Amino acid sequence: MLGVGEEFPVYSLKATVSTDLKKAFTTLTHQDFAGKWKVYFFWPKDFTFVCPTEIAAFGKLNSEFESRDAVVLGGSTDSEFVHLAWRQHHEDLKNLPFPMLADIKRELCETLGILDAKEGVALRATYIVDPQGIIRYVSVNDLSVGRNPQEILRVLDALQTDELCPCNWQKGQATLHPA
Amino acid sequence: MNLDALVEALPAYAKDLKLNLSSLVRNQTELTPSQLWGTVVASAVASRNRELTQAALAEASVQAPEVVEAAKSAAAIMGMNNIYYRFTHLVSNEKYRSLPARLRMNVMRSHGASEVDFELWCTAASAVNGCAACVDAHERTLREKGVTEEVVAAAVRIAAVIHAAATVLDAEQAVAAAASA
Repeated sequence: MLGVGEEFPVYSLKATVSTDLKKAFTTLTHQDFAGKWKVYFFWPKDFTFVCPTEIAAFGKLNSEFESRDAVVLGGSTDSEFVHLAWRQHHEDLKNLPFPMLADIKRELCETLGILDAKEGVALRATYIVDPQGIIRYVSVNDLSVGRNPQEILRVLDALQTDELCPCNWQKGQATLHPA
Repeated sequence: MNLDALVEALPAYAKDLKLNLSSLVRNQTELTPSQLWGTVVASAVASRNRELTQAALAEASVQAPEVVEAAKSAAAIMGMNNIYYRFTHLVSNEKYRSLPARLRMNVMRSHGASEVDFELWCTAASAVNGCAACVDAHERTLREKGVTEEVVAAAVRIAAVIHAAATVLDAEQAVAAAASA
């Protein structure tokens, strides 16, 4: 499984961004959202039980992620049409503010190494990727265990909080050089 | 009131401040215009007098917008860092200096103004807020960037007089409020 310090894979995937068939589909690649942090979170299957609560929870925190220059991107191995149907069907997903990636060929999940060996679908993996495309956090839960998006936000905060102030300089240390 | 009028209206007991302010601001030879006005803004914000802050920002608005924004950012972030790091250096228990601060301060990297200018404004704000560790650290950084003591002193001089003017204006405003109450 790809881990911290490695580059998030190259990808180009259909994504579902709304419930309106005319405007629902777009193509997203690893190069979109340049300069932003990315929070990718994968789930096994649309239309199952645990997923909507998690996804809706990420949706509710979307503005918090946005304030921190982070883009949330959900994904599973379902097609963009299944994503559309699910968004149309489920009350909590109708106004989801972020895209759902359709990794139907399973290439992204395979490269990431997050496919469940038995079921062939994505495990509940979450990646935080920095603006340079490097993975800075990864967590994976088994198929049936949901995530806590607040915790992901906390980690993002911590990753973004650097002590840039020379005030923290201790005698004998080299001086800080903000990039 | 604009800055000139504000300075002009300083009471007789603050005549020294009036003269210091006008010569430091109007006959400035050591600081560039952006350094000068950023220092005025950062010091005024740090000194917390409403009228002076308004006048300083109005006067500084002829500078590039990123200069004014960055100077305000300097005062804002120093408002936080000066408290936290002053504490860690005041307290006898040295453990606090090794605990992670867990305070976001990304504007120190992304302020968009010149590095030297931003450091000068931070030094000025830190001087107003009285954090010894911060003043030391920022001064050291400035010298490493090739800034002379004379230039640093010029900025701190402005911080000093702006702060003094703020205290006088607070006092005068209190008197005026009592009189009209």
